[in-house]
Parts: sequence; structure tokens; C-alpha cells
Amino acid sequence: MSDTHHVLSLQSTVTDLVDPGMLQQIVFHQNRDVQGTNMDGETVLLDLSTGRYYTLNRVGSVIWEHCTGHHTISDIRAVLCDRFDVAPERALDDLVSLVNQLVQEGLLQQERR
Amino acid sequence: MTMQVIDQPMTEALFSLYGTSVRYVTTSPFLAAPVNELLRHFRRDSLDESTPLALCFHGVQTRADIPWTLSLSARRLASGTGAAVGDRRETNLPYQVFEDGGRLIADFCDVGILVINSAQGRADGYLIQPWTMHESLIEYFFHLALIELMRRRGLYTIHATALEKNGRGILIPGNSGRGKTTSFISLLRSGYRYLSDDHPLLRDAGTHVDLLPFPIKINVTEDTVAFFPELREAPDHLLHPGFPKRAFYAEKLYPASIGDCCRPALVLFPHVIDAPHSRLEPLSKPRALELLLPQALLVYDADVARREFQVLAKLLQQVDCYRLHFGRDILDLPRLITPLLGEVT
Repeated sequence: MSDTHHVLSLQSTVTDLVDPGMLQQIVFHQNRDVQGTNMDGETVLLDLSTGRYYTLNRVGSVIWEHCTGHHTISDIRAVLCDRFDVAPERALDDLVSLVNQLVQEGLLQQERR
Repeated sequence: MTMQVIDQPMTEALFSLYGTSVRYVTTSPFLAAPVNELLRHFRRDSLDESTPLALCFHGVQTRADIPWTLSLSARRLASGTGAAVGDRRETNLPYQVFEDGGRLIADFCDVGILVINSAQGRADGYLIQPWTMHESLIEYFFHLALIELMRRRGLYTIHATALEKNGRGILIPGNSGRGKTTSFISLLRSGYRYLSDDHPLLRDAGTHVDLLPFPIKINVTEDTVAFFPELREAPDHLLHPGFPKRAFYAEKLYPASIGDCCRPALVLFPHVIDAPHSRLEPLSKPRALELLLPQALLVYDADVARREFQVLAKLLQQVDCYRLHFGRDILDLPRLITPLLGEVT
């Protein structure tokens, strides 16, 4: 089952799916087929359509919590800067990197508003 | 199509597992005894429930006699050699799992197939020449069908050994070769009560998760037997011969009785180390869930899997989790574990 578990980190390089020029317009929705649970600040996600599961660290968990369709990337970056000791540029890089991975894995859907 | 079955009178057995009634029907005497053995603690003369789970197993002569074929719209969900459905030798069978018209089809090639209609609470098993099969293989097929049906009724199983002491439960999940059964017997012989060797049940009780006994024969390798003097010296009528594993009933070898429904307090993830002493390493709950999911969750039905996932998460919220680095001090394990239950050894 090892191929079913993925730890999503913030450093991976993936093809950008999120247009960095649209930070104020893009919001994210959690896929309805994804079940998640927060434990000790981390989030374990199960994709019910594939049986694959994933773990998000504390920063990733905050990002996931805010992918409710109401927060733009700019909004989420502000939350990260507020909660963690991180520069805005780094927060944005990490945020875009993770949501790109989550979109690529089919866990998140993006929408322009 | 004519089924080449041994024409025997139908036999029926009734069981009740924690409020879930089960009616088992088979036309083959070879398919009756192993199931009665597996569920011997749950046998009933009558059932209160009007719609019990229905399991019907048939013996057939050849694969061609199985009156079931996949439709063109069948969707393959999984396949493999058995690693994903347990670690018993029976599970080294090639298998494919399909969803077909709301039914789950587990196809074990030349051994047989299971047709499981969870929505209707019914499973049919077609086993090819069951009279040539080891009883444990028949138990395995029945158990697979049963747990898939029970998941819909809110009873979940996990690949773990389980014990109870003074109302507090211990789960020891893991694959073969990691010290699961050896650590379990070390605790059992010290007075812990027996819940299950391989398939304890979990039930969401609202505020918490209950751990329920599913007592079956305990299977041990010769290597495990060698660790424990009472097993080494046990006569064949207590420790039944077999290969690659021997088997015994907990209640016949150890004074502790079968345990009761309890609240789990501890989950241990063992692995064997080459060291004189065992030690414990606290494990965070996310790490524990990552380790537990492969031992529990097969995602065939999304709604059921969603509920089961939440039950596993709730279970881990109520327990302490440790990685057990299991050394050579096998008989001393209770001295390490019992204080975790707030008791003096």
C-alpha cells in the first residue's frame, strides 16, 4: 500500500496550474470525494475515489482549511503570514506550490470569481 | 446453465454479532463446519432481527459451473496477490475486485468468487471443489464477505491483534513478521484477556469508539511457539498441528477468559529489533493514522469508507500510540506495557 500514501511538502516543484497573476481572483474548493481529519495540527486526507491518502503538515493544514471557496490566494497568504513567522514572498511561494500539488492530485478544484 | 454441485440438503446457521444478525446457508457440508468454527462464539438458535445479513455459499465442481459472469459495465477496483487484504497464507491468491451493478465481485480465479450486494445485505460465495480446500481458506472467504457486509451496519474490522485488561483495550496492528502475534501472546499469558488474534471489531459509540471481541483460533508459527514454554510443551490436542502455522484456542491454554467490549486505550505498532530490551517510542496521531490505514481501510464504497475513516480517526483520538521496538526480552513485555494502562505490574 506504500504507493497510496503521499506526504505533500511545500518544496516540490510542479508545473504551475495556478496563474500567479490571478491571486486576487482564484479561490479553491475541496473535492467532495476527499475526507480529511485534523490531528495534532496536521491533516490526513483520504481520496475516496482513488483510495490514496495524504498528509499535510501544519502549514499545509491551514491552507487546506481555507480552501472553502471563500478565500483567495491573497487571503490565504495573509493568514499564513499572521499565523507563522514567514515572509510574504516565501508564504506565497509555498502556498502556490502546495495548491498546485493539491490541484494536480485532484484534491482541490480552483475557480475564478 | 446446470451447476455441478454436490446435491446435499441445505444447512442453515444463525449468528448474532453485537446486534447484527447473520443467516448463513450452504449446500455443502464442507462449507458449513469452518464457518461454524469461525463464529462459534456468536451462534444462536434464533434471530430477533427480521432482515439479517444473508450469506450463502455454494460448492461447485469447476469454474464454468459458477452461475455468475461479469457484465460489460463492470469496473475493476483492485487486483493483486493478496497483500492488501491480509497477510495469512490464504491471501497469497491472485484476486481481482470489481464493482458490477452495485455488487462487489471478488474474483479469486480458480478458487472461487464472492458476489457481495452490500445494499441488500447479501453475499454469495461460489467455491470450486471446497472439499479440497483447507478449512482456513473457507473461513477466510466467509470472513471477507462478512466484514464487507458488516461495514454497512457500522461494524468495522482492523488487521490487528487485540487484548483487554480491566476494561481497557490494546490494539497491535501490523503485517506478519513484525512481532504482532508474539507481543500479543506475551501479554495474553500474563493475564490480559483475549479479544482477537487478527480481526477485532470497532464500533462508533458516539462519544468514543468501542473495541469488540472477535475471538478466533490463534495461529502461530513454530518460531513463535519456541518463545513460550507452555506452547513448546503443549500437546497436539491443545496446539493443533499445521503448516506453516499451528493453532490453539486462547481459553484452553491460558486462564484468562475472553475479554469484553471495551474502550481502546493503547495502539502499539511493533517491529522486531535485534536488541536485548524492548522500548517504546511515542507516535503522533497523524503518524499512527498513516500506519493504521493500510491495516484497515479498503475503499470500495465511498460512503462506507468515509464513515470508517472517521471511526479510525476517532479511535486514535482516544488512545495513546507507540512504536514498539520489540527486543529479545519477549517474556518481559508486560512490564513495559502494563504501566501504560495506569497499572502496577
